Amino acid sequence: MWLLAVFCLLLGIIIGFQMPLLPAIYAKYMSIAVLAALDSVFGGIRAYMEDTFDNLIFISGFIVNALLAAGLAYLGDKLGVELYLAAVVVFGVRLFQNLGIIRRYLLKKY
Amino acid sequence: MENNNKATWISIASVCLVLGIMLAIQFKTTQSYQQSLLPSRINELSQRLNAVTEERDALAEEVLELREKLKNVRDQDKAMADLQEELRKVSMAACMLPLEGPGIIVTLDDSKRLLQPGENPNDLLIHDTDLLMVVNELKASGAEAISINGERITAMTEIRCAGTMILVNWNKISPPFEIRAIGNPDMLESGLMIRGGVVEMLKVWGVQVNVQKVNKVTIPAYNGKLKFEYSTPVEYKEKAE
Repeated sequence: MWLLAVFCLLLGIIIGFQMPLLPAIYAKYMSIAVLAALDSVFGGIRAYMEDTFDNLIFISGFIVNALLAAGLAYLGDKLGVELYLAAVVVFGVRLFQNLGIIRRYLLKKY
Repeated sequence: MENNNKATWISIASVCLVLGIMLAIQFKTTQSYQQSLLPSRINELSQRLNAVTEERDALAEEVLELREKLKNVRDQDKAMADLQEELRKVSMAACMLPLEGPGIIVTLDDSKRLLQPGENPNDLLIHDTDLLMVVNELKASGAEAISINGERITAMTEIRCAGTMILVNWNKISPPFEIRAIGNPDMLESGLMIRGGVVEMLKVWGVQVNVQKVNKVTIPAYNGKLKFEYSTPVEYKEKAE
């Protein structure tokens, strides 16, 4: 089953490489959205290992986090505040936390 | 957990798919901008290097020239020749000499378009401002000498509307206008023909514009009187050699 996830990821990457380039001004927001999405996925994996995985929370978190992060970065640009830095820090910290927890579960398991 | 196992995997798979797409796009975008940023910077720097090198060479040449002149001034015989040379240069700058060289000939004529009801007939005529814009564009494109219908454009030449005529050097001229300019023909032409430039704008109004590059164009001298009623030159203290 994990194979399915990896397969879909690879398929997505292949599709993504065929897509047109993003305009430079949106590249920053896209990077924040990608970070949020990564965070959601690792959060999902962690929840799956903790057996608290909820489909709805996972999907909604993935979409809403990405949109919210990009939106906040955009708002920050309009207000002249570097809000995207806050998003980078928050998602970065959470990413590493989730990765740490996943690692511990894997170590315990095997 | 067990009952929605299939839904879980579908959602994970779709999320992974979307994540993959986002990652790939972002990766590609970042890479392409980093690559494209570098050559443009290199271009800019090499252009500046070229410009500065050119300037340095020109200055070095000037130093040699000035040294030569200095020597000539000490050498009485050659002083006269230098003065002649200087006089020739200044006369050229003051438009007192007829000049020839490569350049372009621009002919402008009033629009042949029939007047539509409700249109202002003024829209179809060439105005002083149109000529001014063409002349200005030619100057910006590096023209060294310009004339309109045989009237040399000097530093003090006016181009203004006077009833149905246009005054240049206080002489009345009327269409068709022939503007001659000496300079790099390609530069002059592209300056005029640039998208959104003067010629395009004039053509919108239906003005007949013809730009012709020529190898040799003759531009007459300014034949009016030079008068300086109010101005006197300021004595400048020459710097020590």
